Amino acid sequence: MTSAWRHRLFVYGITIPFAVVLAFPFFWMGVTSLKPEAQVYDPTKVWRFHATLANYGYLFHHTEYVRWLRNSCFVGLLVVLVTLAVALPAGYALARLSGRVGRTLGVAIFLTYLVPPTLLFLPLSRVIAQYFHLSDRLWALVLVYPSFTIPFAIWLLMGFFKTIPQELEDAALVDGCSRLGALVRIVFPISIPGILTVVIFSFSLVLNEFVYAITFISSSANRTLTVGVPTDLIRGDLFNWPGIMAAILIPSIPLALVYNAFLNRFIAGFTGGAFR
Amino acid sequence: MSEDQLSRRELLKRAGAGAAAVGAAGAAAPFSFAGPMKFKNRQLKGDLSIIQWVHFVPAYDDWLDKTWIPQWSAANDVQVKIEHINNTLLDTRAAAEVAAQSGHDLFMNLHPMASYEDQVINHAPIIKEIEGKVGKYGALAKASTYNPKTKKYFAVSDNYVPDPVVWRHDLWNGVGEAPYTWDHVRKAAPKLKAVGHPIGIGQSQELDSNMALLAFMMCFGAFVQNDTNRPVLNTKKTIQAVNFMVDIYKNGEDSAIFGWNPASNNNYLYSGTASMILNAISATRTPEAQNLPFTNDLWIWPIPSGPGGRHGLEHVMGCYNIWKFAANKENASQFLVDLCVNYKQATIASQLYNFPSFPGAFPFKQIRKAAAADTHKPKGKYTILTTIAEKYTHNIGYPGTMNAAMDEVFSKFLVPQMFAQVSQGKLSAADSVRSTASQVNEIYAKWKERGKI
Amino acid sequence: MGAVAAAGGSRKRLRYVAERRGFLATLLISPAVVLIAVLVGGPLILAGYLSFTDAQAGSLTGKWIGLANFRRVLHDPIFRGALWHTFLFTVLSQIVVIVCAGLIAHALVRGFRGRWLLRFFILLPWAAPIALTAIGFLWFYDPQASIFNWFLIKLHIVDPTSLPNWLGTPKAAMSSIITVQAWRTIPFAVVIFIAGISSIPQEVDDAAAIDAATGLKKFWYVSLPLQLPIAIVAVLFGIIFTATDMIVPFILTNGGPFNSTQVLTTYAFQTGINAGNIGEGAAIALFMLPVLAFVAIGMLVFARRAEVT
Repeated sequence: MTSAWRHRLFVYGITIPFAVVLAFPFFWMGVTSLKPEAQVYDPTKVWRFHATLANYGYLFHHTEYVRWLRNSCFVGLLVVLVTLAVALPAGYALARLSGRVGRTLGVAIFLTYLVPPTLLFLPLSRVIAQYFHLSDRLWALVLVYPSFTIPFAIWLLMGFFKTIPQELEDAALVDGCSRLGALVRIVFPISIPGILTVVIFSFSLVLNEFVYAITFISSSANRTLTVGVPTDLIRGDLFNWPGIMAAILIPSIPLALVYNAFLNRFIAGFTGGAFR
Repeated sequence: MSEDQLSRRELLKRAGAGAAAVGAAGAAAPFSFAGPMKFKNRQLKGDLSIIQWVHFVPAYDDWLDKTWIPQWSAANDVQVKIEHINNTLLDTRAAAEVAAQSGHDLFMNLHPMASYEDQVINHAPIIKEIEGKVGKYGALAKASTYNPKTKKYFAVSDNYVPDPVVWRHDLWNGVGEAPYTWDHVRKAAPKLKAVGHPIGIGQSQELDSNMALLAFMMCFGAFVQNDTNRPVLNTKKTIQAVNFMVDIYKNGEDSAIFGWNPASNNNYLYSGTASMILNAISATRTPEAQNLPFTNDLWIWPIPSGPGGRHGLEHVMGCYNIWKFAANKENASQFLVDLCVNYKQATIASQLYNFPSFPGAFPFKQIRKAAAADTHKPKGKYTILTTIAEKYTHNIGYPGTMNAAMDEVFSKFLVPQMFAQVSQGKLSAADSVRSTASQVNEIYAKWKERGKI
Repeated sequence: MGAVAAAGGSRKRLRYVAERRGFLATLLISPAVVLIAVLVGGPLILAGYLSFTDAQAGSLTGKWIGLANFRRVLHDPIFRGALWHTFLFTVLSQIVVIVCAGLIAHALVRGFRGRWLLRFFILLPWAAPIALTAIGFLWFYDPQASIFNWFLIKLHIVDPTSLPNWLGTPKAAMSSIITVQAWRTIPFAVVIFIAGISSIPQEVDDAAAIDAATGLKKFWYVSLPLQLPIAIVAVLFGIIFTATDMIVPFILTNGGPFNSTQVLTTYAFQTGINAGNIGEGAAIALFMLPVLAFVAIGMLVFARRAEVT
């Protein structure tokens, strides 16, 4: 077998089965979302049924789905901005800080994830309500979410900045740039791939969050996606399965497309350098 | 319907003619939820925020949000904001609101939150005011919302829901049986399973399983606590009950019952599979709404009787409480009073799902008349609900009262666990009962230490 | 970042200060430190305090009872079970993730036709919000309408009368939550592994080719050691995220059947929130902290040692 065929066998032999397994649930979600609600449990209509877009129509016209999408996007984008604003400088500083201080702080970053939000939300809700007066406002989420996006972003950027050789900045300094100037003019432009990575990871962390969203937001208009769907599409004893499936698909596909697009630039940022 | 006209007249008398015109207009307004009411450029004076569950009978929420609240809001000059969330998330919100010391004025849950006793006001004045208008607080509700040790009413129950068995008459007829007693059920179970329609009594970590199994135990004379709120789980009768249910499972149910959530037994029925479930009448109202083929074969009976008698529990009990830190306690109290006094409308709006906790608001005789007028077949099937409510419905914790320890036993699903372990062959009945009882005893000891029982 | 301001002499002086490395570093790190201290550190300390009290029903204060909560919790058979299940859940799901993600990453770094599309499919589980996909898996595992069972029947692997109850029997339920957790984590690990692989300098590749080290040999002696630091960190994040996340077991099984999939996070939630026992819930949640810290520090030390400079 030629090496080209071996290559093809290896590559397709792995990616195709995995792609099928990983994506099949979404395919089935799509099928279910096209079924009329009454036929969802019918064992004779597993694959043969009257496809309909009624469930998507229901989502958009009879629930506040669009609003939840907007809220999730709003929170996501703002949290990404906050995360970048805080994590970029911190990641840079930690990358350049050699020695024990840098390493200890790096380890400390992991330790912030050891606390499960399942109970943290209680003291946090007091902080949000009493000290910030942000009960039932999306700003509460914008304030709290960076607490778990920033550590991971710092770690990502720390490793990323370490691949940028110190010589670049030193050269800029020799040319009369201030340290700060070197940072802004030389380092940050090169770190676009790292920034994109942080954007992707932070956004996905925000969308996956559930406990804080339930805790701090109560009114239907302010709900995010993760809270709105279980509440309004599960009416007591009736799971609106087709509606739920549609609700999952609508944000997932564009997001996966965007992540996929960003991935190339992200990898481009890492090739050709030692990532430590 | 004449009853409707009567209630509107009552409302008119209370609120005055002007408000009635407002009420009539408000009932026709097309909003999707009761948000802030801007009425004719007049800012309403007071505020009130309410949070409660998404009702299993959608018609009730429609009535509450689009009819009752606008009328009350206008009549009392109060801006009402009401939120509905999934019933499984209510506990989380309660904890968050208490932790934050800020939240909704009126908090409703489906079980009396005994452990939150210290965070809420004493609701005795509200209850007294309602009693003054419609008669005594029901015994069931009182046992659920009153702590005899601290002499405090930690919630006001506006409604409870009787818990019948919903069974497929056509299928049971086919095997020549009917669920009069649990013995009958045990005999019929294998026959029903053989024709592909097993029984559906859950043994999962969820509300319906909890209720069904606790009620089942009571029919065998087995209780979690006695009338002085002391734990008495480890008895021969409990072991007998466990063995009996395991027998029913092994011969007449399938393993689906171990992975359920509160909606699962309903769906089991709606798909045509289940021949019997223990559930409130949302299990019949939904088939009616969806025109399922076997709708007219769904019969409603009281819980089967066992050697210990015929004992059932309320399926859920709506309980409102007012936090100590609530901003609008007076408006909240007034809302509760008005709602409970006029509960006839609520019961009818909920299609007889909600029974009033103050029976005087809608006496059983009148409920029976309303049920008899229900046109769904077989005609008059809902009249049995009043019998169930009167005779066969107890509070959680019967023969004692609801308290924080019972609440914890309930919330940790210790009883479904006790049954499921034996059904799946992990433990013998005696061992399972003993280990569960020791966990229960520890919980009770802990709350006794804290002076709550 | 506008530390430089004002005019004249003060500008010069400030500039000098800003040039000092330590000062700049502190300035740059401080926003992060402050935010985390307030939003994580503060509540953590409070949670620690609560675990030594009998706080209940959402209250943030209680009577000090020392180690009573911890003692009671260790006595609790459900808790001991939860410890074991957390370990199983974390370790097994992450093993699956590492193996699968490693394979996929190695395949995806090579160029081939259709790579973009296949990568899209592989990224889907991570792009979708887990709180929603977990509900979706309730549907896939539905005792009556499960599509997995449909396939199993069609392939004659199982008998229609004895369908596996994916969420109702202990072993099946455990494997279900492990599967879903692995399913959602694999794309995340793939991305990080790809970064690790891509960062291997070209010179190393060339050197390996010269030494005729190809395929498995190359992987074992060259690629793996170089990827180890980043692989370890990816695994560490996976472990931490899995051990502290409650969504998958909470939505799929809520700890059932009879507590056989109860993990520490769900049990802490059930005890602290549903049963109103905040102190005990805090004690359960904090149990993981020392263990995870130990694991984290251990792995990080190992990763640093394995770094090839």
